[in-house]
Amino acid sequence: MAITSILSAQNKPSIQGTVIDAHTLEPLFGVNLIAKDGFATTDQNGTFLLKTKYDSFVASHIGYADKEYTITSDTKTPIILKLKPISTELDGVTLKGKSQQRLAQESATVSIAVDEEYLHANRENSLMQTLKKIPGVSTMTIGSGQSKPTIRGLGFNRVSVVQNGIKHEAQQWGSDHGLEIDQYGIDEIRIIKGPASLLFGSDAIAGVVDIQPPKLPMPNSFSGEVTILGETNNDLLAFSTGIQGRKDQWYYRGRITYRDYADFKVPTEQINYENYIFELQDNNLRNTAGEEANSSFSFGYVGETFRTETFVSNVNAKNGFFANAHGLEVRNSSIDYDTSNRDVDLPFHKVNHIKITNNTTLQLDNHTLKIDFGYQNNQREEQSEPVPHGFMPTPPDSKERIFTKNTYTLNAKDVIVINNKHTFSAGLNTELQNNNIGGWGFLIPAYDRYSIGGYLFDHFEATPNLHLQAGIRYDYGLITTKTHTDWFQTPRQNADGSTSTIFLQRATNSRLNFSSFSGGIGASYLKEHTTYKLNIGNSFRMPLAHELSSDGVNYHMYRYERGNLSLDPESSYQIDAEVSYAKQKFSFGLSPFANYFDNYIYLNPTPNYYETLQIYEYTQAEVFRIGGEASIGYQWFKNFNVSASAEYVYAEQTSGPKEGFTIPFSPPLIGMFSFTYGKEQLGIFTDINFTTDVRIAAAQKEIVPPEEITDGYQVIHMSLMGKAPLFSKSKPIQIRLKLNNLFNTEYYDHTSFYRLIDVPEAGRNIAVSLTQQF
Amino acid sequence: MKRILSILGTLALLATTACSSDDSTTIDEEKPTISVNFTGGFPQACESLKRGETYTFSAKVTDNDALAAYSINLHHNFDHHTHDDQGATCDLSPIKSPVNPMLIVENYTIEEGPKEHTFSIEVTIPEDIDVGDYHCGYSVTDQTGWQSRTSIDLKIIE
Repeated sequence: MAITSILSAQNKPSIQGTVIDAHTLEPLFGVNLIAKDGFATTDQNGTFLLKTKYDSFVASHIGYADKEYTITSDTKTPIILKLKPISTELDGVTLKGKSQQRLAQESATVSIAVDEEYLHANRENSLMQTLKKIPGVSTMTIGSGQSKPTIRGLGFNRVSVVQNGIKHEAQQWGSDHGLEIDQYGIDEIRIIKGPASLLFGSDAIAGVVDIQPPKLPMPNSFSGEVTILGETNNDLLAFSTGIQGRKDQWYYRGRITYRDYADFKVPTEQINYENYIFELQDNNLRNTAGEEANSSFSFGYVGETFRTETFVSNVNAKNGFFANAHGLEVRNSSIDYDTSNRDVDLPFHKVNHIKITNNTTLQLDNHTLKIDFGYQNNQREEQSEPVPHGFMPTPPDSKERIFTKNTYTLNAKDVIVINNKHTFSAGLNTELQNNNIGGWGFLIPAYDRYSIGGYLFDHFEATPNLHLQAGIRYDYGLITTKTHTDWFQTPRQNADGSTSTIFLQRATNSRLNFSSFSGGIGASYLKEHTTYKLNIGNSFRMPLAHELSSDGVNYHMYRYERGNLSLDPESSYQIDAEVSYAKQKFSFGLSPFANYFDNYIYLNPTPNYYETLQIYEYTQAEVFRIGGEASIGYQWFKNFNVSASAEYVYAEQTSGPKEGFTIPFSPPLIGMFSFTYGKEQLGIFTDINFTTDVRIAAAQKEIVPPEEITDGYQVIHMSLMGKAPLFSKSKPIQIRLKLNNLFNTEYYDHTSFYRLIDVPEAGRNIAVSLTQQF
Repeated sequence: MKRILSILGTLALLATTACSSDDSTTIDEEKPTISVNFTGGFPQACESLKRGETYTFSAKVTDNDALAAYSINLHHNFDHHTHDDQGATCDLSPIKSPVNPMLIVENYTIEEGPKEHTFSIEVTIPEDIDVGDYHCGYSVTDQTGWQSRTSIDLKIIE
């Protein structure tokens, strides 16, 4: 009032201020401030100057709740405005470009940001299981403690997992290998649905799970948190604690996580597989127990124009595999698995992942220079009972396969803003991998892989509401595989009818190089409460060593796998779109896509045998896919939200030996209903949130050998969260109760590793978790 | 809203044009079968085979479309790892270490892809091999790449 009354109508008065994130207190760039007669946007420092003769305006920003602000006579200027991020768990698919860069928010790329709040509210046994609620994102689970992401039905090496700007390199190609990342201490994950090779390189052909670096601590602060978690299904006990602190410009963080769990329980007393029956004791899926111990530490410096942070982390895990039917081989064993449900006997795997990364950002005028460096060491041991097979005599020990992978990554990127219209990026990604093998079971040879890629990308703000983007990329890769010879002799018929025994050579020294162009264009258009996006582009993936030169018995799967040295890089063409609408009580989203692979690589079961094992051969075929996700959310009453979402993918091979079939691990049609009731206060409890999720999957009848049809299912999960001022009023303890699989339903997930051996998903589970900040 | 509809329309069109071209493709979703439950099916569960004798190993395989190949894998079960899915439980001899166990690892193709086939493999049990528990594993594939397996417990005696 005071301001408006002083100034005349011709010379509009102005309001000055800063907009910051209510949680991180970091300035927000690109926030729209809309008054009845004026409009302003915040700059890099979050500051704005809004010319208006009215005394109220609305601040709006993608990923944040709109805030109406009214100036009163005693308002001090410049004002400070805090915006609260919208939590994704309520409306499932709210588009959240929460990073400071408006570039990311107005990007045509269909992406979803998952924040800490979501991760905390939905935490499951493994990181990717936690993300399963997001439409279009699914997981391939391996028992209770491990999983890896699939996006729109594609997984393994078709989804890049990026942490702190560095591509995570483990043994993600194997169907029984998980993802080795500590799921605690993660603030934000961005998920890109669709091809993203352009910025992320090979492997991002189906999408990216981009784990963002944690947010900066506040100056002169120290804080920490402790989380404990207990679960009934697999008697899990987990503990994670993290601290962070900052002086003025130097800061550090640290975290320790430990998890220990027993065999998981399935709602069945016996497993039927290929006419064999395995009785389970107390519903325990024997030998699926495991443990995980992780630690990480980082330190960094933040200045006016310079920021650097170095992370060091180690993830160590040991998991057992279901003993009776490890993979597809049916065996009994003299090991007494049932003495304890906590011990891990053979077969099991042990993994250790060391990661050292550095992220440095330098701001020079209108340039932002980013350099990421990473070193990763992944050590994987697969141990199983030494058993003679075919011509192989009993091996000397249980070390079946050992994989050692060292990966060096260097990414550099320069972002230039020209005329405030063009945001131009030029970048370079390089990676060097050294892979060694050990153990008596040969599957893939030792190999080195070098790849380098460069890209140019422009984001153009045609009008404040219309954004266009285009990019082009070139990649070159070199794979050298090393020779390998069996340690045992195999009889071979000679031309003259006599038989001799030889040490078979499984792999030769070979040198293969690949190169590929990719590119894409996209547009995004924002109109009031609606965002439209459209993308057209192609993406690629270099063949991997196992696809090129496997030549051995996969005992886990009881089959013979053969690579193909003449495979071409996989390329995919895609058109995808998104429409999202959010206004007060109602939100709606639709993201369809169509996709064509001209040479999709998959493991094809042939009609032929090698030493009585069926030969599976890596093959390329044309594949057409179409699908998408839809979601709708409505705030029924003040405290009650309902949302529904659906995801569907149809895939068909249009050439090759499996023409007409789908591709392996195709997810079924899935629908999800979510009901959330929130209450601010109830007795001593605050921020109470009660959620019921109903997940409905249709039967998956689209299968490809050796898969089997999976029936549909309905499963209900519930959760209750709240805070109580137990130790401190300002830092209440966060309590979370979760109930998975309410009715202990016996159901099968078509994309689960254990589906192949007819093992149902985990039974009822009650989880209790407590988090205290300090 | 118009824009939404036009995007959806484009995609729907894309979907129909892409799918309509190959709707004629029929795919084989049936596995082949394998059985020794017929006269001449050999070996039967828990059967004893004598060293020095010659036997005709035989099983009947069928498929809805076209058979492709079969295999026989005869190996010792001195460690009691148990493969049998014939329903009968055979008496096993004590666990022992192999010295010169018998081993057959052979694959055969089925020519011209018939829907039914009965294979016979003549096997002479050598005089010098270890006696004891053995398994006979059979498997069959069809042209599509579906596979079925079965296995039978047997004994080799003096």
